[in-house]
Formats: sequence, structure tokens, C-alpha cells
Amino acid sequence: MAQLLMPITRPVPAVHPDAADTAALRAEVRAFLAEQRAAGTYTPAVDAWLCSWNEEFTGALAARGWLGMTVPKEYGGQGRSFLERFVVTEELLAAGAPVAAHWIADRQIVPSLLKYGTETQKREFLPKIAAGQCFFGIGMSEPDSGSDLASVRTRAVRIDRGWRLTGTKVWTSGAHRAHAFIVLARSAPVDPANRHAGLSQFIVRFADPGVEVRPIISMNGRHHFNEVILDEVFVPDDMVFGEIGNGWQQVTSELSFERSGPERLLSTFVLLPALADEMAQQRIPHDAGLGRLVARIAGLHHMSAAVAVALERHQPADVPAAVVKVLGTSTEGDIAEFADLHAGDDSALSRDTRALIDAAVDQRPGFTLRGGTNEVLRGVIARGLGLR
Amino acid sequence: MTVDPDLIAMMNAVFADHRANHGQAATPELWSRLRSLGLARLTGTEPSGGSGAGWHEAAELTAAAVRTGVRIGLPEHDLLACWLLEQAGGRVDDAVRTVCALDESGTAPAVPWARAAERIVLIWPDSGQYRLADISTADLRITRGTNLIGEPRDAVAADLDTLTGAAVCADVVAVLRRKAALIRAIQVCAALDAALELAVQHASSRNQFGRPLAKFQAVQHLIADIAAEASLARTATEAALTAAVSTDWAAPNLDFRIGVARSCAGHAASVVVRNAHQVFGAIGTTAEHRLHEYTRAALAWRGEYGSVRSWDEQVTAAALRAGAGGLWELITA
Repeated sequence: MAQLLMPITRPVPAVHPDAADTAALRAEVRAFLAEQRAAGTYTPAVDAWLCSWNEEFTGALAARGWLGMTVPKEYGGQGRSFLERFVVTEELLAAGAPVAAHWIADRQIVPSLLKYGTETQKREFLPKIAAGQCFFGIGMSEPDSGSDLASVRTRAVRIDRGWRLTGTKVWTSGAHRAHAFIVLARSAPVDPANRHAGLSQFIVRFADPGVEVRPIISMNGRHHFNEVILDEVFVPDDMVFGEIGNGWQQVTSELSFERSGPERLLSTFVLLPALADEMAQQRIPHDAGLGRLVARIAGLHHMSAAVAVALERHQPADVPAAVVKVLGTSTEGDIAEFADLHAGDDSALSRDTRALIDAAVDQRPGFTLRGGTNEVLRGVIARGLGLR
Repeated sequence: MTVDPDLIAMMNAVFADHRANHGQAATPELWSRLRSLGLARLTGTEPSGGSGAGWHEAAELTAAAVRTGVRIGLPEHDLLACWLLEQAGGRVDDAVRTVCALDESGTAPAVPWARAAERIVLIWPDSGQYRLADISTADLRITRGTNLIGEPRDAVAADLDTLTGAAVCADVVAVLRRKAALIRAIQVCAALDAALELAVQHASSRNQFGRPLAKFQAVQHLIADIAAEASLARTATEAALTAAVSTDWAAPNLDFRIGVARSCAGHAASVVVRNAHQVFGAIGTTAEHRLHEYTRAALAWRGEYGSVRSWDEQVTAAALRAGAGGLWELITA
């Protein structure tokens, strides 16, 4: 007789019964979004958190107190919970609202500043982020460092009263419109025994001397990404982010916030209501594949919320965040694929739905790449299971 | 909602002990042991001889039977048949029961555990209402049938003209269907979790090309996908269970959440079964290896109380009813 199985340690935390306490906030955001759509401020878009930059809309969110929600009031924020922020962002994403301008700043720069920022940095940036007046980019990837982030070659050299940065960053979305980004650079030579040592982070403004932003045009002709070239850029000591040499730990602590959020499953959500409408109007054939996708999104909504609660409680969430991202990004891609399989020259789809589908299939390859490829994330899950 | 770990350990021990000494099939002795421990009617009310526990405990008990590979109609007995009988004000004794929903002609196909039960709680439609009767199995015509894993799924026929039954309202019958559907979701989830654990154990202990299978990235990714899909199934099932328990099975969004759980669990089984067998290689397809106790069970159960496709259809219908303006609200309700 083989040994009997015991219950396994669950990779994802238990479901959080959130509905009741957040229903009022959801209703408030929905009413706001309906007003904004009626006023013509925006039309729902696919992958709006990357593609839809609208500073007017961002300003309207700030006026409602829905930017920098977790920032304490003393730094110009709202002092609200991470779960409340989760609810607001979920509503905005599901509606395909234009949130790209503030997305990076609000999602990961805020928690990073709160955790690692100096008092000066917090006073400088947090009030502006919460007011929708300061936008950030990400300075992690490089031409020769994609998934293998520890191999970054941007150098930080110690000089009088600061550091001098030289190197190239890529895939910095919004750099042509944002104000600053946090650059991961090598501040000490590589130690082959500990590749993750000797990395540091620096706050760099795109307007600083020696910073050049060059567009990277996407395959559909649109401009979201940039290459940022740093040529002996001076960073004063007070713009060192966190501790010198602690860059790897700081970067990886951002990742759970970056990987488990609702944007990892809702990038194509706007297609589902559009397709439900097309199906109800019999412009596409009845297809139970729609229900399968709606069910997966509903399940992932609960899973993503459970991880948000874990993050709020400062519980380790790297493995569950990886689970959400692997499943969520695959599913948002599957939604694009499902829609595209219904879209031929013989189908009666509306022009608006077709435009959403075209955008979705163009954005789809990025879903399972950005924020850590799904191959890397499966490795994270495997490590959590004790396989590596 | 967390269940006392000592209680879970006790549940596991009861089934593990049975499995080690008597095999997979439930015996009268196992039922007797379950009765003596208060597990046979775990959720029955205390005045009626039950233990007064809730569905979270019952879900753990159900999962314990699945994990140990013990095949028993315990959920049908406690959570469906005896619950329904209590609802109708009937007397609940020690007999092993199952439940059967007859059509207007007095027949029902594929009734779980019919021939293994001493009594069957029948419900049948009667001029816009439902009627219920608690009948000895010997008084019914039973035609043997089994599911993929050999569990009794028998055709049952009764002569409705000779039956007198208590009136049951349609709401109770709707709750019965919800409960039945969720039981299978709970069982599928437990089977998928067990398949994950077996796959992890096997990949860590089996060596090929001079190293454990677990060191091959391709194998790691197969198992990572098992873990991810099993987690989604479990999350969706818990979301349905939480809504059910907190509203006494009356939440307006409960049918949607159960549809979501059954759809997610059903499709998760596709990935988990395929990947787990791939990780195990040919040995996993043999009778002597126990992987099939979970993979075949997951496939059998995912199609009971409605095929996966029928659950996808139910979610699709709910989405179409909600319409473009109401779909997100449906998901977050």
C-alpha cells in the first residue's frame, strides 16, 4: 500500500469574502465611469493600461481621490487600504478606461516609495503622483537583459555628491510623456558567486541632461514603448532609491504588486461584454466558449482579490502572484483569440467590436511577456512546489 | 472559514485506515465507524441525530474520502438525502440514503449510489409542485449502471400512482440541485490537488538521464500548469461555497458562482489529467499505480450533475441575460 496523501499546502490563499464591504465603492466608480463615457471623455479600449494615455481622465480620477489611494494623507494621499485600491483599479480596467498615464506610478512606484523612499523623495513625488501630475516609467529591462534581469549592464559610478549612470534601458512605456523612472543599475562589479549583489536603483528624470528617449514603434504602428539612453547622467545622492547594493531585493519586492493585479487578466475584458451583445443580437453564432471565458475571468477575479489581501497583510505572495499572472495573461489572450475566430469577412460584427478585436490580437503577444514571461513564472511556481 | 486541523486530521485518518485495511469500496463497517464518530450525518441538525456542522467541514470530509481514494456516497447521504428528508419533516434514522429526482414518468437515469443505499429519498414533479417520499430501495426497480470509475449510477423507476409524498416547494428542489452540483466541484478539486501532489512526488523521485525529472524545465512547466489550474478550480469552488454558506444557499448570484466553479473545475481537469499522465509516463496508466484514482475520478465527476459543456452554457446564458452593461456586475456580485 502506497503512502496516503495529506492535504497539500495551497499555492494560492483562500477566497476573501469582499463583496459586501466594497460594493458601495464599486458603485461609486461605476457611476463615475458612466458619467465620463457620457461626456465623451473616453471610449473603452483594449489594453488601456498600456495604450490609453489620457491626462484629463487621470486628473478626474485624482479629483475623486482615486490616485495614490494607499498613500498616507500627510503625503497628499487618501490613506485607504490596498484592497480599496484594488477595487477601484479593477473597475477602471473592466471598463477599458484610459489609465496609462498614471498606471506605473500608481501601481508600483507608490508602494516602492512608501517602502524604500527617503522622506525627501516621498515629499517630492507622492503628492504629485496622487494629484495626477507626476508620471513614472520602469527602468529595468535592457537590450541584453530581458527575463534575466540580474544581467543588467547599465553602470553606476560613484562620483562627488552622487552617481554617474551610463547604459540603455528598453520597453520603457510612456517615457516620451512621463516625468521620471527608476533605473536598475550595476553599482559594483559582478560577483559570480552572487549575481544579485551589487545592483542599485536610482530615480532619473527624463528631462535630465544626458537622457535621450527614442521611440520603439509597435508592429501595428503605435508608439507606447521607448528606448532610453543614459549617457553619463548625474544622479545626486538624494535621488538614490533605497540602499546601494539592495537593488535586487527592492526590484523583486515590486514584482508581486506588478504580477498579481487585475491588469493581468482584464486587458481584453471589454471584448466579453461586446461579444455577449453580438451573440445576443445573433450577429455571431451562439458559442458556449464565451461562458468558459467568463467563468475563468470570474474565478481569476476571486484569485486576484485573494492575493491583494495577502499583499495587504504583508504575506509572501510571489508564488500566488505568478499563478495569477500565468493564468490571467493566458486567459486575456484566449479572449482575443476566441473573438478573432468569430471575426471573418462573412460575420456581421459591428465596426466597434472589430476594432477591439484587431487591437486585442495585436496586443496579445505582449500579455504573456511583460512583467516576467510566463516561462519564467512557471519556474517561480515550480520553485514554490519544491521542484527546483 | 478555516476548519479545525485536528478535525481534518481525524477525517483523513478514518478513511486512510479503511483504505489501508479494506480497500477502496465502502463497507458497512466503515459506515458504522462514521456514524459512531458523528461523521455520517456531519451536517444534520442535532435534534435529528446529526452533528450540526456546516458545509466547510463537510467539504473537508468529502475531500478526505477523495484523497484516500475511498469511494462512498457519503455526500449524497448527508448533504443531499438526509438534508432533504429533514426539510420535509421526515424522520431520519441510521439507514444509508441517497437522493433521486424522478421525471413525470417516475424514472431517473444514473442515480448515484442507488443500489448501495438502503433507502432513497425520491422527489418528483406533481402539478407544478414537487413531492417527496423516503422509500426502501427494495421497493424500487433498480437497473445497474456505473460511471467511469465503477461507482453505482443506477437507473431508478417507481410507480408514481402508488406513491404518496409530502409537498416540497420548488425552491428546495433548486437548492438540492445547487448542492449536488457543488459536491462534484469539491470532489473534482480534491482529485486535482491529489494529482498535483503525486506529480510533484514522482518528478522529485524518478531519475532519467542521470537526474530527477523535476530538474527538467519541460517537466517543471507541466507541473506548474497543473498547480495553476487546480488553484483556479479551488478558488472558484470556494467562492461558490462561501456565497452558499453565508446566505443559506439563497444568494442571488449563487447559480452563477456554481456555474463558474463547475466550468473552471471541468476545464482544469483537462489540463491536470493530461499533464499528470504526461509526467508519469506509461506507469501512470496502469491499474497498480494510483494516479488513475484521481485522474479518472476527476473526469468521471466533472460530467455529473451536468456536463462541463452544460455548465459553460449556463454561464453563457447568464452572460447574455446580463448583457453588455451588466456582465462585469454579474462577475463581481
